[in-house]
Amino acid sequence: MLNQLGPIIAVLLLICLAASVGAYPIKKLIRIQEAKHELRHGSPGFFRTMSGWIVIAVWVAVTWFFATIIGEWWAIEDLSAAIHRSGRRLELLLRILEALADD
Amino acid sequence: MTESSVIAQADLMCTNCAGQCEYSPRTGALTCKSCATEHVITINPNADPEAEHHYDPDLPHTEQPKFTQDRPYQCETCGGEVIFQGHSISENCPYCNGSLVERPNGESYVTLGMIPFSVGNEQAQDAAHNWVSRRWAAPSDLQSVVSGSNVSGIYVPFWTFDSKEAVNYTVNYKVTRGKKTVMRTDSGFMKTEFDDLLMPASPHVTPLIRDGILHEFEPSNLRPFEPAYLAGFAAERHHQPVREGLRQNAKDKALLLRNRIKKHSGKNSVVDVSYLTDTTGIKYRRILLPVWILHYEYNGTPMKVVTCGLQGRTFGERPFSSVKLLALAALASCAVAAFGFVWGAYNIY
Repeated sequence: MLNQLGPIIAVLLLICLAASVGAYPIKKLIRIQEAKHELRHGSPGFFRTMSGWIVIAVWVAVTWFFATIIGEWWAIEDLSAAIHRSGRRLELLLRILEALADD
Repeated sequence: MTESSVIAQADLMCTNCAGQCEYSPRTGALTCKSCATEHVITINPNADPEAEHHYDPDLPHTEQPKFTQDRPYQCETCGGEVIFQGHSISENCPYCNGSLVERPNGESYVTLGMIPFSVGNEQAQDAAHNWVSRRWAAPSDLQSVVSGSNVSGIYVPFWTFDSKEAVNYTVNYKVTRGKKTVMRTDSGFMKTEFDDLLMPASPHVTPLIRDGILHEFEPSNLRPFEPAYLAGFAAERHHQPVREGLRQNAKDKALLLRNRIKKHSGKNSVVDVSYLTDTTGIKYRRILLPVWILHYEYNGTPMKVVTCGLQGRTFGERPFSSVKLLALAALASCAVAAFGFVWGAYNIY
């Protein structure tokens, strides 16, 4: 029963949690969109607004990562195996985030 | 006519009907409010408003503030210093609509050049309201709040700064060797120049708003200071010494220098930049640029939308709706979570 309902409840909780902390990344995303269209590119204000965009990538990445575990849990009906198998995915994700942060 | 002279009412009166004239951005002429006669504004042909003035921080600076005989007022509410010409004496501050109080012994510097308005009131009003209406995640009542406010035209003091930089720098950057990431350090030298960096000399136009409204600045469009251009508009005088302007400009310059150093080093993944720069050839202008400012207050927070009086570009401050941000965050979370769920369910990686 837990293996059938668990992933569904977990993904709903994940959405609630991601949404509750997502207001700031969304605000940052809107400010970046405005900067891209309205600020002079290469100006100090443009650079200042664009800095800190990594917070959006981290928010998306973390939400996506936990969703993949839940998805796998739903498919194989084994949470600990799903967590165990997410290790390689986490490694890849951290590398991508590191590369993005350096950019 | 010089800036320091008292502006006689007669200077701004119509020679046809003796009515009061105002500068018209549409025609670029002094236009009579009574009979609509247009008077061509004559400027001093010998003046060179594009001329830049040298500044050496190691030498005593000779530019002294000029005590003027005209009528500067300082708003008690927002601190804006405002000069009114001819009949356009207002009892409300164009920055914040607050009442004005005369400030004795106000001092100011001579303005070296200015660009008159080419965008009119109606166009600026439309631009400001359009800007507000296009905001994402703005409160639903924002447009109705802003619709009660009107734009005010004002000449705002700006600096232009030139400088030559000889920069010795060190960058720390990351290099990936197999599965390891190691830090490396590299040093270098570069010469670079800044030309006509615009810096607001007024707290009413922030550097961010400057970058939103002033995408192009052509010194060739500068004209000598002429009171006729100010008729019907407010103007704030230059009151900062050069060292204060340079101090404010330093943050912007440092940010731009760091970006130039990153490019010059040719390294990817630069994590830290340190540098020493020898600055020479500092030149400056004190100029006035035209802006339309729309002030409004949302939930007790004063905000402004600024439209450039030259090209009509608009930028400003805006509030966000917490409910709309949360709704957008929920939508985005659903999309990302669904994508991740499917990814995991099909064991893609």
